Amino acid sequence: MIKTEKILHLKSSRGRKVRVVREHYLRERVPCCSCLCQAACDNDGKVLPGDLTHYVVPDVGVVVDYLEILEFRELQGVVFTQTACQAVQHSKGRRQYNRLRNLLKDPRHDCVLFANEFQEYSYCPREKGESQEQWQTRCVYSAAVWYHNHLAGMMDIVMITEDRDAIAQYGSLNAGVYVISVQDFLRDFWPQVQAAHELYSSISQALQEKESEASQKEYSEHLPAEVLEAGIKSGRYIKGTLNISKHRPQNEASIMTDGLSNKSTDLSRGVLVDGGKNRNRAVHGDVVVVELLPKSEWRGKVTALTEGQGEEKGGEENESQPMPTGRVVGILQRNWRDYVVTFPPRDGTQSQSRNSQRILAVPWDRRIPKIRISTQQADALQDHRVVVRIDSWESTSLYPNGHSVRVLGPAGELETEVQTILIENGIHVAPFSDAQLREMPVNSPEKPWTIDPAQAAERRDLRESHLVFSIDPRGCEDVDDTLSVRSLPGGKLLELGVHIADVTHFVTEGSLTDLEARLRATTYYLADRRYDMLPAVLSADLCSLLGGVDRYAMSVMWELDAHTLAVNKVWYGRTIIRSSYQLHYELAQALLNGEEAEVPELSELGPEEKDAKLAELTQALEMLTHVARQLRAQRDRGGALELEGVEVRAQLDEQRNITALVPRQPLEVHETVAECMIYANHWVARKIQETFPHQALLRRHPPPRQEFFSQLVDSAKARGFAIDTRTNKALADSLDQAMDPQDPLVNRLLRMMATAAMSQALYFSTGLESQDQFYHYGLALDRYTHFTSPIRRYADIVVHRLLTAAIDLEREAGLGQTLANNKELEEMAQHINNKNMAAQRAQKSSTALFQCLYFKERDPQTDPSCVADAVIYSIRNNGILVFVPEYGVKGPVYMKNRDGQVVAAGPDGSCEWQSGSVRQHSDHISTTSSCGTSTFRLFDHITVRISVHSAPFHGDSLNLEVVSNKRHRSPEPQQTPSQGRSQLVQEVVRLAEEASQQAQEKKAAQRPKLSKEEREFRQSKTPNLYSLLEEVRELALMDLDTAAQVCATTA
Amino acid sequence: MAGLELLSDQGYRLDGRKATELRKVQARMGVFAQADGSAYLEQGNTKALAVVYGPHEMRGSRSRARHDRAVINCQYSMATFSTAERKRRPHGDRKSTEMSLHLKQTFEAAVMTQLYPRSQIDIYVKILQSDGGNYSVCVNAATLAVIDAGIPMRDYVCACTVGFVDETPLADLCYAEESGGVSSLALALLPRGGQIALLQMDARLHQDHLEALIEAAMTACKGVSKVLDQVVRQHLQEASVNSAE
Repeated sequence: MIKTEKILHLKSSRGRKVRVVREHYLRERVPCCSCLCQAACDNDGKVLPGDLTHYVVPDVGVVVDYLEILEFRELQGVVFTQTACQAVQHSKGRRQYNRLRNLLKDPRHDCVLFANEFQEYSYCPREKGESQEQWQTRCVYSAAVWYHNHLAGMMDIVMITEDRDAIAQYGSLNAGVYVISVQDFLRDFWPQVQAAHELYSSISQALQEKESEASQKEYSEHLPAEVLEAGIKSGRYIKGTLNISKHRPQNEASIMTDGLSNKSTDLSRGVLVDGGKNRNRAVHGDVVVVELLPKSEWRGKVTALTEGQGEEKGGEENESQPMPTGRVVGILQRNWRDYVVTFPPRDGTQSQSRNSQRILAVPWDRRIPKIRISTQQADALQDHRVVVRIDSWESTSLYPNGHSVRVLGPAGELETEVQTILIENGIHVAPFSDAQLREMPVNSPEKPWTIDPAQAAERRDLRESHLVFSIDPRGCEDVDDTLSVRSLPGGKLLELGVHIADVTHFVTEGSLTDLEARLRATTYYLADRRYDMLPAVLSADLCSLLGGVDRYAMSVMWELDAHTLAVNKVWYGRTIIRSSYQLHYELAQALLNGEEAEVPELSELGPEEKDAKLAELTQALEMLTHVARQLRAQRDRGGALELEGVEVRAQLDEQRNITALVPRQPLEVHETVAECMIYANHWVARKIQETFPHQALLRRHPPPRQEFFSQLVDSAKARGFAIDTRTNKALADSLDQAMDPQDPLVNRLLRMMATAAMSQALYFSTGLESQDQFYHYGLALDRYTHFTSPIRRYADIVVHRLLTAAIDLEREAGLGQTLANNKELEEMAQHINNKNMAAQRAQKSSTALFQCLYFKERDPQTDPSCVADAVIYSIRNNGILVFVPEYGVKGPVYMKNRDGQVVAAGPDGSCEWQSGSVRQHSDHISTTSSCGTSTFRLFDHITVRISVHSAPFHGDSLNLEVVSNKRHRSPEPQQTPSQGRSQLVQEVVRLAEEASQQAQEKKAAQRPKLSKEEREFRQSKTPNLYSLLEEVRELALMDLDTAAQVCATTA
Repeated sequence: MAGLELLSDQGYRLDGRKATELRKVQARMGVFAQADGSAYLEQGNTKALAVVYGPHEMRGSRSRARHDRAVINCQYSMATFSTAERKRRPHGDRKSTEMSLHLKQTFEAAVMTQLYPRSQIDIYVKILQSDGGNYSVCVNAATLAVIDAGIPMRDYVCACTVGFVDETPLADLCYAEESGGVSSLALALLPRGGQIALLQMDARLHQDHLEALIEAAMTACKGVSKVLDQVVRQHLQEASVNSAE
């Protein structure tokens, strides 16, 4: 019962020197977590394999400083000691410690923790006069010796340390236990892991630099934590997250206070932090503590447009009214992540003669300060993009110190830029590992996958009884939803069914595939490629509800009254289906319209049979459309919004680019399918919320804040429309009325502004919000979740599991496994939300990247495709914001350039720069110069020239310039340029590949390894793939003829 | 306290115990000849001395005497040197008054007071070194002292504190754990019948967890009672050998 062995007294001091005596219990049996264990240790959880050549025991210093190297998955058999873990906790703080803990928990990583201080024979008490470091090293060494003895000498133990004395002292004490330095270890055992070597040298250089720091103070010291805590409590200081302005990263930053406790209203807008000195070494995203400056020093935000980078303008004439301004006195939590930086080219201007090792690299994200990096590869890395981590920022240094982690490639190359986008958005998509793929079921021609009879007995078989079909974009591979509809005998009732791919059957909770999918949270769609959430065998084959094959499904079936569509009965459950038709939208619409259409599934049948089948299918589609129309009308009465880019559309593609507003031909069948999916999602949400009131994953769309609508209302007023934003219904109605018959773009722009004012729809756990918060504003539903796309969204997988549990509960089968509780679910919801936002941002930037690459090839002065029509949608101090419908580009146009010249329009409308002045009014901006006054009004059409603003350190951006204040006349009428976009993508990809091939020929070895893997992983090059098709619809980028010309000239 | 991790991922506590393990308990009975009963008990680094006088006639005001049972009078105090910082502790401060009251309630439930009408039993407990779980150590020490005094009890009274960390109940908290923001519960148990003599909890705890926590506390108390039983038997053996000589 009582296993106490021994009491030891530990001395420790803390704060005021207090002598604390603590007990310390030792035991003989501490799990060793090794396969080779002879003593039958109680090893559960992760176990080190027995077939390695050695185990590695890193010393305390190694774990503290070089943890990143130990994170390489190639390094196997790592034994972390408790001593080292505690040292990390004390010296590096909670963040680093949690990282180590996650590493230990990660089943993909081969490392364990040994509680050496609780083991009777490996524990050594600290001796008098022994320094902490010596004692820790001795502890680690004795743990290493214990391991060797415990495993009966069958495994060699390597202790790695950075302490030269330790190597000398312990190196030859025991046979089988080797003490070597990290460098030797990497060289001897892992010569092939090049990245680890580079990382090692970069970290060790950074550490050396740190020791030899200069002593000149650049910043004031941060206050100690106790003072900050007390200051926050007494209200003297304010705590918040630092948010650096994207447009003025040098000078302007603000603190978003997260506490609601701010009583004074003037603080609710946040606190401005002006200039680098006041920012005091805080980096974007850090949790900081600020002290308010006296009121006389308060400043306002600058509202004028500035050109992306370069020096700030001196004048302060256009500041808004002063707001609370403060300076940072301390940092509570650093939120440093991996940053992509660009090494500057080596020219004479940067005097690095004193110490040529140090380079100031420029981060891709403008909000991050330059990072000082010591490297020996400075020459090789010129103009390369590199992933770095910040190590420290001493008060003596103007810039933070960092070390490089991994080289992405030369700036400007397609692969590098795409990798940059991924890393900057925190997206990690390594290819699926072998262990993950081994979990997958096999489906090959030799070994076809078949239905398991046990499963067949459990599931409801719909193969014979129901006509099931799917409607998706053309060429879609991952079909996750199918539909069925039929009238029940008697004619009074209809049965509508939505059948979703049963992904959870294949992806069991906690499996490696599941972990990976949870990490990714969604499939990432970029402009030219996609990164799947699940391995291809599932997403494109076994889970995909393809036509003519048996598949598992998760079904929701309603019995509806044929006339009123009142729900009579709902059935949820697992089923087996065989989809009879795999239709695409155009085909389905053609069938509905009664046009001649060729259904591929029926092409081989005789004419009579074919007609009968076709009639059956058409009838089902008609019934479906009828039902969907009614459902839609029901929701419209509740106030559902028809907005560009909100979830109504997002049903079809979650990753839709919101800015892309080029008209696509909306087919009714799109709405029909979307409506059925919304209906299914809604009913599943009801079911899981009722069964699990505290732990269901739902999706809510909070109502927008009214003040965000001000721009929309003002803009609409300029055109004479009144927008009522009080409820979603009023908004939807007034948006419908705000239609200018001459210019359909006005309505689209208004809808776009309404979309921008919306809050984001979010996943959440029902235990965290009260029920009235569940409302979905955009869809006007009281409960909503995501259920219909488990192949590409992790949230749907979670919902599937909840629904399965609910069904099991109903059948009294009891819960198979414990469900995630409210807290875990909320964490997961947060994670999925973050990843979704990251995915959206990544997609946006990748679209922008492709636009830039496209225009880079063209000369803006001569190429007609660079001149386009644009609409003004907002007025600023010294310029206007315009939208270019042809390319889906939004951007600023300056009315005044740096030399103080303004745009002046000649009598024929053509514009040129002349000296003059600019005046801003509420709905127009006018420039006055020697040749008269020209005015630009909201929603005016103007002609702009598009050129690329090249920024080697950051992503390129597009630059817009007024050519004329008249509507642009394109040489030929606009066609529906559906292929222009795909050609653009193709062409850019092709050019990039040519360029990279040339580069490869020159320096074949220099290409980073990763890009090759990525190349293999890239799936979509042809225009018929899903993502591309969606993109094509959204963005018409050029018309056909010019594209063909360009192809001809560049090929 | 931000830095302390009370229960590691491997299931170890700060001092190397697992969640259900008690601290080492050592005790001696009959340490003073003057008193009717006395005992010294160490539970980990918490050390307490308990002394019992009585049953004897009512001292002071006779009006407090009960005609059907004995009155139990408890006094709890802490030595100035019992904590890391030396501190004068005057008699009758709120904390020790409360603790005295708790002890009194506990022993009124356990001692067969009806055997000694119109009399009084005094129990004095002093904490010599404090390292968490003061109440339970006092109860355990006082039990031994009462037994040493030869006063009949229904059963041993055993007490133990438990805390709740990461969904796991921790038995017998030490000082570092008690001050680490754990919601703790003290329980005094008559182990044979499983009757609860006293249950005290000041912290907030979700209702769902209470059952598990009490369950863990009872198991821990039963563990303590085994140790106490051994100590008593050992003491009897020595005493009988001594008297035989």
